[in-house]
Amino acid sequence: MEGVAGCLLVKDDGVLLGRALDDAETYTSLMLTAAGLAGNIMDKVGFSYCRYVSFNRTNNQTFYVFPIDQYLLGIVQKADCSVADMLERVYQLIGRVSTDGTRTVS
Amino acid sequence: MIQLIDELKVIPGVIGACIVNFQDGLKVTNLPAIFKPERLLVVGHHLLKLFSAGRESFSDLTDITLNYDESVVVARELETGTLVFVICDPTFNHNLMAMSLNLLQEEYKLGDFAAEVAPAVIAAQPQADMSGKMQDLLEEMKGTLSKILGPMAGFIFDEVAEEWIEQGVSDFSRIEVLIDLLNQEISDQDKIDSYRQLISPALKTFQKG
Repeated sequence: MEGVAGCLLVKDDGVLLGRALDDAETYTSLMLTAAGLAGNIMDKVGFSYCRYVSFNRTNNQTFYVFPIDQYLLGIVQKADCSVADMLERVYQLIGRVSTDGTRTVS
Repeated sequence: MIQLIDELKVIPGVIGACIVNFQDGLKVTNLPAIFKPERLLVVGHHLLKLFSAGRESFSDLTDITLNYDESVVVARELETGTLVFVICDPTFNHNLMAMSLNLLQEEYKLGDFAAEVAPAVIAAQPQADMSGKMQDLLEEMKGTLSKILGPMAGFIFDEVAEEWIEQGVSDFSRIEVLIDLLNQEISDQDKIDSYRQLISPALKTFQKG
């Protein structure tokens, strides 16, 4: 996918289902932590759904965590891409693969 | 300190902001009253945990953004244990926000706000009456726990230590109570045994004085 430097898919129990980047295990624990805490914040403030959590870096290779039903999609953004276009493509993908239409996090 | 975050509020789409310190609690906020201070403090603590976990993976981490359907939360750590978070409409301008947070961070450093004893909106967490040597031991135990529990170990340790401090005297006579509390968090016998093995030299050194 244009704008994506690497990605991985993790089940919400921590099982790594697929990867297209190095050090996937490092990202896995961060994704689970991010999803859990984002869910806690959502409940505490009263938001309805977390689209994504992003870790913004000085090298512009932002790391995104997208909750998709019982799965977590992690994406490393290419430094020189259009973020809006990349996110749009990811949303389209998520819309196609989402299993039951319900949207939950954590 | 309020002027720091009031400047953020003039950015289109910004609902308000908040500065939280892990020890001192909620330092300042200009968010609408619907955002209860108690809840903001919990959110701040969650974000500090998230920052800690993020830094384990990315040493050049600057901000964390949580994009919800209704709003976006942008968090930046001002110094260790202190962060500012901003709640915005999803339409906010990312570049303008990043630039404003850069400025805020500079002003925070220059203004020596870190040393400011702010009237805490929320009561500060209990402070331990603890010797320097005991604090060193706890720091070592905390560092060792990261070998067992990974990125979240620091915050897990802090929370457990806080509970331990609340329960009684924070000296070596109650160290086994602290270890038991940590073992409950580790909840894996092999890891519990490994942790005990790893901290044993530090415990023995402390006892020898």
